[in-house]
Amino acid sequence: MNTIGLHAVGLLGPGLDDFDSARPILAGNAPLTSREVQAPPPGLLPANERRRTTATIRLALKVAEEATRDADRGQLRSVFASSSGDMDIIDRICDALTRPEPVVSPVQFHNSVHNAPAGNWSIATRNPAPATALSGYNASLAAGLLEAATLQLAEGGDVLLVCYDVPSMESFIHVRPIHHPFAVALRLGPVDKAPWRLELDLGGPATADRCVSDDLEALRGGNPAARALPLLERLVRGAPGNVTLAAPLGRSLNIRIEP
Amino acid sequence: MPTHPGNPPATTRSASMDPLVITAHTLTSAAGTGITANAEALHSGVGGLRPCDLESVTLDTHIGRVPGVEAITLEGALAPFQCRNNQLAELGLRQDGFADAVAAAVERHGADRVAVLLGTSTSGIAATEAAYHRRDPQTGALPPDYDYRHTQNMFSLADFVATRFGLSGPAMVVSTACSSSAKVFADARRYIAAGLCDAAVVGGVDSLCGMTLYGFNALQLVAARPCTPLDRDRAGISIGEAAGFFLLERPSADATGPLLTGHGESSDAHHMSAPHPEGLGAATALQQALDRAGRHGDAIDYVLMHATATPANDGSEARALVRSLGPNPRAVGTKGLTGHTLGAAGAVGVAQALASLDGGFVPPTAGLNILDPELGLDARSEAESRAVHRVLVNAFGFGGNNCSLLLEAAP
Repeated sequence: MNTIGLHAVGLLGPGLDDFDSARPILAGNAPLTSREVQAPPPGLLPANERRRTTATIRLALKVAEEATRDADRGQLRSVFASSSGDMDIIDRICDALTRPEPVVSPVQFHNSVHNAPAGNWSIATRNPAPATALSGYNASLAAGLLEAATLQLAEGGDVLLVCYDVPSMESFIHVRPIHHPFAVALRLGPVDKAPWRLELDLGGPATADRCVSDDLEALRGGNPAARALPLLERLVRGAPGNVTLAAPLGRSLNIRIEP
Repeated sequence: MPTHPGNPPATTRSASMDPLVITAHTLTSAAGTGITANAEALHSGVGGLRPCDLESVTLDTHIGRVPGVEAITLEGALAPFQCRNNQLAELGLRQDGFADAVAAAVERHGADRVAVLLGTSTSGIAATEAAYHRRDPQTGALPPDYDYRHTQNMFSLADFVATRFGLSGPAMVVSTACSSSAKVFADARRYIAAGLCDAAVVGGVDSLCGMTLYGFNALQLVAARPCTPLDRDRAGISIGEAAGFFLLERPSADATGPLLTGHGESSDAHHMSAPHPEGLGAATALQQALDRAGRHGDAIDYVLMHATATPANDGSEARALVRSLGPNPRAVGTKGLTGHTLGAAGAVGVAQALASLDGGFVPPTAGLNILDPELGLDARSEAESRAVHRVLVNAFGFGGNNCSLLLEAAP
């Protein structure tokens, strides 16, 4: 595929509060200190919507805000990629459905859709541009990158990719082991003036790259969105290089990075 | 509440793209199994809604339930995928020679050059609902035979279809509520234009489950009697299920048929579960679909509306049609046949549009008794026989997520 620009990054995970403050950790110059992930209610949302946000929506919107600080939020198209969506709501609704007279909360139901963060983002940014929400199971990041890149290449402009997953609820931890919240946002656009240029190539079966740092490698396996960590490590190291991610159906996504 | 910003921004202004050919397709819904039965129902206006008889659901409503789904057993490598959504997918994939058409596309292009881009809203959540009913009463543990990855996970549908056909092209599931299986058509155009693949299996499947029936009921959007889109007395939706699949390729000597010439996508940026009252987002999607196809509104034979039969949705969409196409546009609502099939609604609409292009008729609006005069639409209760060249298909979802597609008859 043709080269696209990467203009900004958003990041949130255990011990990774945002991309800028995480740079020394990603570069291997500072240790990862595990802390609970804090995703405050998004300030961009009107009060009514803000009250109704879930942990999933807050996680996604936190990194979306970070990656669009210097962008026109009212215009850019967006791609929200998540393996599993809002597992907390699915848990609560499935539990409610086991009762003799099931009562499902209307707010929980409308937040149960996979595109709830996308819908809230468009409301928060008053943005009428297209938004999508997708899944590629553990390879949701690669699927999201392909989707965002094809959007950018088709019509130019900026495209926001947000990839996130919340941890599984207790009853699910064995069937779907997602151990910690993690979210990453990449603002893609024209190559002109981009701090990084990315060239994506959907390849055959290949082993995904591990993190350079053992601490970050431990995070990588605990959340599908944390599959972005080897890419982020490469971004902060400032040299050209390649990163291979797992893509859906056993394929690989090779990313050539040029600072 | 924020106001809608109005005009679409420059970044979403529609660049033209080459059309794609729909070389094969299939549809299974409550109105019929396979495209012939669905086309007959579409023409007659007689569909398949019935009182809700779904196990474990006690609501006074009608549903569009597909007969025979429970009888499907997935075997071998497909066995882990067993759940209502994939059973319905399998029932659909067995119709209309679709499997042979995919095999032929693999011969032409290679298995790694055929994409799998499918839409669903709730995937196989019925399997999780059933597993919750069987939790260990002491520990709360889920039953050991519950397989999350192959049933409820959003990607399950694409994984299932790819596994069934041995496909390894780019794959994903789009889940933007009720626009899901319309948006994948737009994705296929971009994926093929970017050189990621040469063909794409697109479409969508959604299946009946407790979550959507009780959820829409909680939002007070479900009608007790069969839904009546565009009717003066419409009272809400009937929930249905469906599986629709399409094979898209570039036009060539080997690839002929009806064309996907336009797509438009937008966000309402208004509310999670209520449409923009003036239909601004919907109008943007419609206009983009026309622009990408290089067509004016007067070239459209009719709009196959999303028309869910809630008072607010039909009103908002009607205003979008009038805004884009001028006064009294010809419009059709079909959810009286199938129910609202949610994430499969776009696929159902496209298959119905193809039946109308092929059969030379403008479909009736099933269930229409007295057209709501407030809508300002030309919708009819009887089919009209005449050549049909171009149909716009709408699919709109929660989150204010809009998609319009323009389908044209084979040149």
